[in-house]
Amino acid sequence: MELFVMSLINGIMVGGVYALVALGWVLIYKCSGVLNLAMGELTLIGAYVTLTFYQIGVPFIMSIIITLIIGVILGILVERIFLDRLIGEPILAVLMVTVGLSFFFKGIIEFIWGVQTQAFQPPIFSLEPIEIGFIKISRVYLWSFILAIVLFLLFSAFFKYTHWGLAMQATADDETAALSVGVSARFVYAAAWAIAFMSAGVGGALLGNINGINISVGYLGLLVLPAVVLGGLNSIPGAIVGGITIGILQNLSGTYLDQYFPGGVKEVFPFAFMVVFMLFKPYGFWGWERIERM
Amino acid sequence: MSNVWLPCGLYHQKYSEDHGWWQTPVIKGKMILLLVLVFIVFPFTLTGYWFGVANMIGYTAMGALGVQLLIGYAGLVTLGHAAFIAVGAYTSALMILHFPWPRFLIDWGLAYPISIIISGILAGIWSVLFGLPSAKVKGFYLILTTMAAQFITVDFLITQYISQIGGRGQAFSLPPGTIKIGPWIIDGELKTYLLMAVLLTLSVTVVANLLRSKVGRAWIAIRDNDIAAETIGINIIWYKLLNFFVAGFIAGLAGAFWISNTAALSPEHFPWFWSLWLVGVILIGGIGSIHGVIFGSIFMVIVMELIQYGVMLLSDVYPDLMIKFLYIKESVFGLVICVFLIFEPRGLSYRWWQIKNYFNLWPFSY
Repeated sequence: MELFVMSLINGIMVGGVYALVALGWVLIYKCSGVLNLAMGELTLIGAYVTLTFYQIGVPFIMSIIITLIIGVILGILVERIFLDRLIGEPILAVLMVTVGLSFFFKGIIEFIWGVQTQAFQPPIFSLEPIEIGFIKISRVYLWSFILAIVLFLLFSAFFKYTHWGLAMQATADDETAALSVGVSARFVYAAAWAIAFMSAGVGGALLGNINGINISVGYLGLLVLPAVVLGGLNSIPGAIVGGITIGILQNLSGTYLDQYFPGGVKEVFPFAFMVVFMLFKPYGFWGWERIERM
Repeated sequence: MSNVWLPCGLYHQKYSEDHGWWQTPVIKGKMILLLVLVFIVFPFTLTGYWFGVANMIGYTAMGALGVQLLIGYAGLVTLGHAAFIAVGAYTSALMILHFPWPRFLIDWGLAYPISIIISGILAGIWSVLFGLPSAKVKGFYLILTTMAAQFITVDFLITQYISQIGGRGQAFSLPPGTIKIGPWIIDGELKTYLLMAVLLTLSVTVVANLLRSKVGRAWIAIRDNDIAAETIGINIIWYKLLNFFVAGFIAGLAGAFWISNTAALSPEHFPWFWSLWLVGVILIGGIGSIHGVIFGSIFMVIVMELIQYGVMLLSDVYPDLMIKFLYIKESVFGLVICVFLIFEPRGLSYRWWQIKNYFNLWPFSY
């Protein structure tokens, strides 16, 4: 029983990190209707930029703020150079441009920062876990969890109550219709990419604190996909719930299934779950179901 | 209405002529010339390095053909095709190494050809398994299942279990002389080249003919509008799964060919990068065109060879560059895809089509 509760709590905490990354996916999908496969690389860029500033002596909070500013600039730049020309093109083209961008960024990251693991020195969060009874919670996970919840509240309010948030959702739903009622698609996409870069930057900076930064942090961006699907591609609460569910599933499968299937069952179980899940609930729990007319 | 330009004075008088594959003498001549070039001229003129390049082009083209079927002809976007190639490669390698073949089959050199076919079928079935969600979802959600195929198959099943068979760690190596077709042992570059040429020609022929048939028309209808396709009585689930099967089958052939090319096999040959690479190939070649597959493969392989050559030239000046070649390759690949999608969204095959039409009408192009 203790083992079960322990895995459960760990799962929820890891799930908080997943939720943070999943939020990035959902945000850009919700804003612009694009599945951004460069998410992992954006996370990496955020992590490395924060690390670089931290290493030259800038305080952590300040380096995160600098990362956010650089993120906005990069986001707008990327949108203006690559995606601006693709407004009105089929969605596959946009998707593949994000794939191309992911390779482009990955090559550049590896070129500049190398492939060795780099860690935040001195560590920002104390390594001492917080203990409640027999449960130990690592501080980094706790902070990521809190941040995920805060961002969730912030973005939910943004999409529900602000003019821009509604314009973004309108563009994601139907680009042509949004253009015809006077929403500037160029502005929406620029804002979407700026937001994506910003959320990925914060996520990356926190993730970098868990095990140090190397190129495999970028893969985490892909590993959260099951979480995104579970919640539905355009639901912000879905990202949070999906992230936590996948975190729990992963930890429980690691605890109980690993003895039967040694190896990487922990990493793969969410994907297997996702494939089966989609057979029954293809749009996740809260994703918009596309109603098509001829 | 025939789908090619007919020269002056040439008329179709029967429907069968109208549906013919090579409709004019010019096209017929061109295709025969191409076959002569591939099967007779190249084997005698190419040398070692160029055979390597040609084999790589053929392998890429076979993989990309399956991706083209899925994306270009049925609108099922896949980002996990390397998984099915891996299934083919591992099936073939395992059958050659561990299957208790009857003595006479090995003596007649039938073990490898049979394993090629079986690996095609297995890869096809595996592909259908991951295509099942396509019955319910499409678009982005389907992309996610195909990505799941990649991670489950290559990163989990193959890395953790299948490559442990035989107890020699990660990589399989096939002893010389085991890959044998009839009396010929596939060892030299020339023989792998010929094997590649035969497999590629066969799969292109089969696919091109499938696309002219009822099946191909059903796929194209599903791609263009699946709801409309359903209303005119096309069983879309069946045809989508059939598409997954054929694409997986060709991927299996490509995988089985790959082991004859390298004589070794490890999960690192089939990373997620390779799946994306294949999609990149068809985007550059042009979506919805078999020419596109071939053009895209040639373009990508040659560009990568050129980059490698350029890096080698520069490595005297900047020795670091050689170590970082892989990163440059990734970056350039990404940039090439972006540039093509932005400036040439219809790919190389569209250019080819334009050039061809120009000469068809030349010199009276009005």
